[in-house]
Amino acid sequence: MGSLDDIVEDDTGPAGRFNFNSAAAIFFIVFAIVLFLLIPTNIDKPLIVMPGSGSTLSAELFPQMVAGSFLILGLWLFAKSFSIQQRNELRDLNREAITNVAMTLVIMAAYVPLMVNLGFVVGSAAMIAVMSTYFGNRNYYLMAAVSISIPMLIFFLFRRVLLTELPPFPIDIYPLTHWSLI
Amino acid sequence: MYESFVEGVGLALRFDTYLYISAGLFLGMFVGALPGFTTLMAMAILLPVSFFLDPLLGIPFLIGVYKGGIYGGSIPAILVSMPGTGAAVATTFDGPALTKKGKGKKALEMALYSSVFGDLTSDIVTIALIGPIAMVALMMGPPELAAVIFLALIVISATSSGVFVKGLLMLAVGLFLAMIGQDPIGALSRFSFGVPSIESGIPFLPMLIGVFALPEIFIGIERKAASVIKSADLKISGARLTFAEFKSCFRTICRSTAIGTSIGMVPGVGQVVAAFMGYAAAKNASKHPEKFGKGELEGVAAAEAANNAVNGPTMVPLLTLGIPGDNLTVILVGAFIAQGLRPGPLLMEEQGPLVFAILVSMVAANILFLFIGYFCIPLFARIVTIRKSFLLPLTLVFAFAGTWIFRGQPFDLGVLVFFGAFGYVAKKLHFDVTPMAMGFILAPILEYSFGQTIILAQGNLLYYIFVERPITAIIVLGTPVLTYLMWRRSTRLRSELKDRISNENSS
Repeated sequence: MGSLDDIVEDDTGPAGRFNFNSAAAIFFIVFAIVLFLLIPTNIDKPLIVMPGSGSTLSAELFPQMVAGSFLILGLWLFAKSFSIQQRNELRDLNREAITNVAMTLVIMAAYVPLMVNLGFVVGSAAMIAVMSTYFGNRNYYLMAAVSISIPMLIFFLFRRVLLTELPPFPIDIYPLTHWSLI
Repeated sequence: MYESFVEGVGLALRFDTYLYISAGLFLGMFVGALPGFTTLMAMAILLPVSFFLDPLLGIPFLIGVYKGGIYGGSIPAILVSMPGTGAAVATTFDGPALTKKGKGKKALEMALYSSVFGDLTSDIVTIALIGPIAMVALMMGPPELAAVIFLALIVISATSSGVFVKGLLMLAVGLFLAMIGQDPIGALSRFSFGVPSIESGIPFLPMLIGVFALPEIFIGIERKAASVIKSADLKISGARLTFAEFKSCFRTICRSTAIGTSIGMVPGVGQVVAAFMGYAAAKNASKHPEKFGKGELEGVAAAEAANNAVNGPTMVPLLTLGIPGDNLTVILVGAFIAQGLRPGPLLMEEQGPLVFAILVSMVAANILFLFIGYFCIPLFARIVTIRKSFLLPLTLVFAFAGTWIFRGQPFDLGVLVFFGAFGYVAKKLHFDVTPMAMGFILAPILEYSFGQTIILAQGNLLYYIFVERPITAIIVLGTPVLTYLMWRRSTRLRSELKDRISNENSS
């Protein structure tokens, strides 16, 4: 119960009828059944069965126990869901929140190929520029300074101080400029 | 154990360790002072940094972030009534009122001194306790270890979220995710569906950053607020705290430290509860409780000493049994594992000096905590004015960079985004991700210990546990009882806190 949100969560949602907890319970019950069906075909069998191996833990036993837990707990949650008073906060999201979260997910999805193909600094600079503009920044000089300097600083710190690899600058591909190795 | 301690003191005498602790404290206070940016998020994002450092640099660095973050939350709580972290909510009851009275500086200094005192004292208690507990833990075999891990997982699930069964379901999700890859005994492939990137399992670092850091970012961007407040609101006014004022609160600070220390040792309770309990105890013991909530220095001292006193003792179950008590220590487990160190009974035996060196550095970090906090309060007070439009993308850059350096695979970035979205949806539906993360981290050792127990039992598990391993039998039989008691206690605490928050808000 570390988080304050968990403690003061709004529990004024509807109870006594089918709600998101009931739907979640059904999801877990279905998931448990799928898991039971997947276990025989998606867990490798040992090539050699040693004598007396009946007293060892099979690779299937733990997944079966977890699938069984999903089933029992899913049924428990379904039975209890009608008396739980919790709000589905996803439903409380307004259009602005949904747009912002969706936009951030799109930016994140685009950031992955940008970072991998253009290099960390250029990819990150592009992402910071787009995201900060979307979230209200109109000071473009500051945006340019932040979006270039901070990724360069992180790049330098990770490569020189921590000796780790980040997708290099595009200029790394040119043999005469080894800026990434400064 | 004494030799390990002495050797540990020697190992801790490194200048660079304190340099990294200082960096961690600074970053922790920085993030803690930002409303909406939690200590958890800071630790998750900075976790990869610790991987590539010596254990005596990386782990103290994260501990610095932990300590600094818990304290940092008090700065905006006192100045503008916006708690930087959940742990600082109780500080808002008296802090802003003191600022309005022109005693903002006194309140900030009281928060710093009581935080440092609480943290330092609890760290010393931790060192004193860890040796004897580790010696008991060393006597444990695989059956006892499996039983203790099982007990801890169930207790965390019971206390972490409002509805017990939802905590258990999230634990099951964590156990399932940990099964993907190879089984820990026969190394047989499970649920990898022919995808090479998950043949060795789901990478734990992108998962941890995803579930703990990204949901905070998503919540932060729900509204397009450009910045939180104006810098004009952040004047630190008034005279300094006098020694007499500190002395008058000393009894309260000691009481809160004791409360925080005892709460820190119990898995799943945490800083928020400690701060509220410390505050309530101070109010109850006060000769003038009516002054609380209207600008009482003792109120700030009580909450701040209690929340920081939790930090040290959370290391006791972590280092001796390998059981993280809350989501912050789950991240520390990640740091230990990445360094090739598995917290648990054997860690103290195999790496005793290193463990003591980390603990000694934790104690010494409090001196740095005092200095950095003292000199940087004006700077951290202005942090809340930083534009959200820059902070959020920069946090993302750090999260992506940290994930990339783990294995250098684009697949991991996908895992990060997936678990970020998962964590956000889970939060909105009141499913706590902490039992999931704990289940994911502890499942391999649970399954391995359980497998060893089955081998030792030679086919007769019940006879072996209930006749040959009485301690295991006691833990197994005690699990439902202890779980029920802990669940009832946490439910009661939760409702008390709710009442108290609504009472304080209305008054």
